[in-house]
Amino acid sequence: MTAHDKIKRLSMSREFIAENYQTSLCLTDIAKQSYMSPYHFLRAFKEAYGETPNELLIRLRLEEAKKMLITEHVSISEVCEKVGYSSLGSFSSLFTKQVGIAPTLYRRKLWALSSEAYRFPSQAIPACYAYHFLKKHGK
Amino acid sequence: MITSIAHTTIYVLDQDDALDFYKNKLGFEVGDDMKVEGDFRWLTVHPKSKPQHQLVLAEPKEGPMFSKDAAEKIRALIQEGAFGAGVFETENCQKTYDDLVAKGVEFIQPPTEQLYGVEAMALDNSGNWFSLVQR
Repeated sequence: MTAHDKIKRLSMSREFIAENYQTSLCLTDIAKQSYMSPYHFLRAFKEAYGETPNELLIRLRLEEAKKMLITEHVSISEVCEKVGYSSLGSFSSLFTKQVGIAPTLYRRKLWALSSEAYRFPSQAIPACYAYHFLKKHGK
Repeated sequence: MITSIAHTTIYVLDQDDALDFYKNKLGFEVGDDMKVEGDFRWLTVHPKSKPQHQLVLAEPKEGPMFSKDAAEKIRALIQEGAFGAGVFETENCQKTYDDLVAKGVEFIQPPTEQLYGVEAMALDNSGNWFSLVQR
């Protein structure tokens, strides 16, 4: 298999993860999309993209969770479920570990900063951009 | 000590069109796509699994930093091809070139041997130049 074919196959798994991250995914199913054994796939994926399939899955889920927490009026449990976690406890501890703040506090903090409902506050983007496009200093 | 680059800006004519190009043609992933106060859309993309360096796709619009005249001038310059989006690396320039040509990406230089590797040059759908380099 050429390097290009390998990347093409791995891309199929990446797309599978990106399209299905809200559901329960297992390594075997993800690896199948690339026609590889789980062990071989895991190694090749990490080598090609610098992160494991699970790290990608977590990244996509948490990015979506952050967005939902700010822009939608749904409970934390619903956010947890919608981004693919069945346990609220696991979701909350993972979120806290990766984002540095618990989901409820994250929402409360960002909602308090924003002058418009369901919009990210200007402090959510780098201050140089907030100043440039919104004339706001982040603090 | 500065350790890395986190964000760089590419001015585009239309964020939806640019997103379609960078995501569906170049295969980039969306970093952030969120509405910020004041109807500002914060849109960033990055190469697959390289979220450390985000490309901010921004529209030059009349606002705090641009007068109407300045925004129009910048838009005209983008269309004229006055700006470069940067250099994107690839493992195989010829293959990537073939894939992107098949997707309708406009190239202004096919893969060519250079001192630093094989390079092709293309335009995004706003008019920004970018290079594909295989080192």
